[in-house]
Amino acid sequence: MKRSVVLLVVAYSRAARGSLRNVCRTHEESVVRRFGRVALLSETAFAAFQALRLRAKHGSDIQIERTEPFNEFEVLDEEVRVAAEAYENRETPSLPYATFAARNDHPDPDELREREL
Amino acid sequence: MSGQQSSATDDERDGSTGHPQTESSRGPVVVRTPDGALSGRALDVRGRTGADIDAERLVAAVRCGRDDSEDDTERAGAVDRSVGVACPDPGPAHEHVGLVESGMALRVRTALAAGARSRGLSAPQDEALASVRAELADLTVPEVDAAAARERLAGTESAVAAGRERVATIRGRIQAARDAGRETEDLREELRAAARELSEIETERAAAREALERAERRAREARDARERRRRLEDRAANLARAARSHLVDAVREEYATAVAAVPGPDRGSDPHTIESPFDADPVSAALAVGRVAQLRAPVVLAVDRFASADAAADWLDAPVVRV
Repeated sequence: MKRSVVLLVVAYSRAARGSLRNVCRTHEESVVRRFGRVALLSETAFAAFQALRLRAKHGSDIQIERTEPFNEFEVLDEEVRVAAEAYENRETPSLPYATFAARNDHPDPDELREREL
Repeated sequence: MSGQQSSATDDERDGSTGHPQTESSRGPVVVRTPDGALSGRALDVRGRTGADIDAERLVAAVRCGRDDSEDDTERAGAVDRSVGVACPDPGPAHEHVGLVESGMALRVRTALAAGARSRGLSAPQDEALASVRAELADLTVPEVDAAAARERLAGTESAVAAGRERVATIRGRIQAARDAGRETEDLREELRAAARELSEIETERAAAREALERAERRAREARDARERRRRLEDRAANLARAARSHLVDAVREEYATAVAAVPGPDRGSDPHTIESPFDADPVSAALAVGRVAQLRAPVVLAVDRFASADAAADWLDAPVVRV
């Protein structure tokens, strides 16, 4: 099974974006997905090599991050998942979440902002 | 040569400001070769010095001799002692069609837009483009390199792991000694030392983490500036594209007529079968752009399209050096 961990490469200049596009075209096998000036590369040393080449060429115009898969069942309390589901199924579309949460005993948005994953 | 030559050229250029159409296209061109100097509006240097003059060198001499001051003449000479060119400044179009040779590549629209500019045409986007470019030039984007901070942290992470392992190993040995009823004092001293060391490494790791966090925060802030710069770059590129297309439109008809009139037996395509004049072979396209453009510096011509250098100069209405 393909691992969902990937390298995230973001270009911050036209030149860097052009190079990123070229790398993605040349090494399709290393590209999980590309959106404009952002690419998700597979978690291989070869993909990292390509990302580092881009950084060597464009310096800080290339940002490289490593992303972790998001598992809401692992990193979140159930009440947050339930609240998201419930709020998207609310009957009054104009109802702000804060009010909705207070009425239906869902977590308060300010409290959620403080809570880390 | 430079003294007299340059004053003549300066006079000519002064005149050209007043009457660009007639004066500039008849600017004096002097090609200096080991055999001597040739001067005139249509020169043929073939056979002059054999292999010493090639098209690339000659066009480089035309472009780098752009200033007629003594200094630059010296420098131009330094590039290639065997060929020197004194001529008016190459304008914006010369960069694209100043050298016409078979196998050349040409971005036709870019060249044609430069040709339109060489005739003094401008685009409505010019002002906005200049202001975006000025903004870009003024924009400073801090360079943040977090690599040193990452490297420092990576080193402490592995040192902490090694230190922990060492403490655990000593503990194991103390336990084993105790079980066997042996003396443990030396081992306990070793453990204390290892624990001290581990604590130092952990302190260093905490500092390294903090330093990396700071560097990453700075990098994030710098990215805001980079993002702004990229948007300006995109805007400049869009404006440049729009300006180019405006300029191309202004001379499109003239260019199409010129393409249809390009002479020569080795034309890549029959003008009557070409869908668009922009699909003409690069040599024909370059010649047509050259005819549309106002070229003051000589066109270096390395193709057999014209009966003579004179014919080429007449057709292009520009100085020509045939190589």
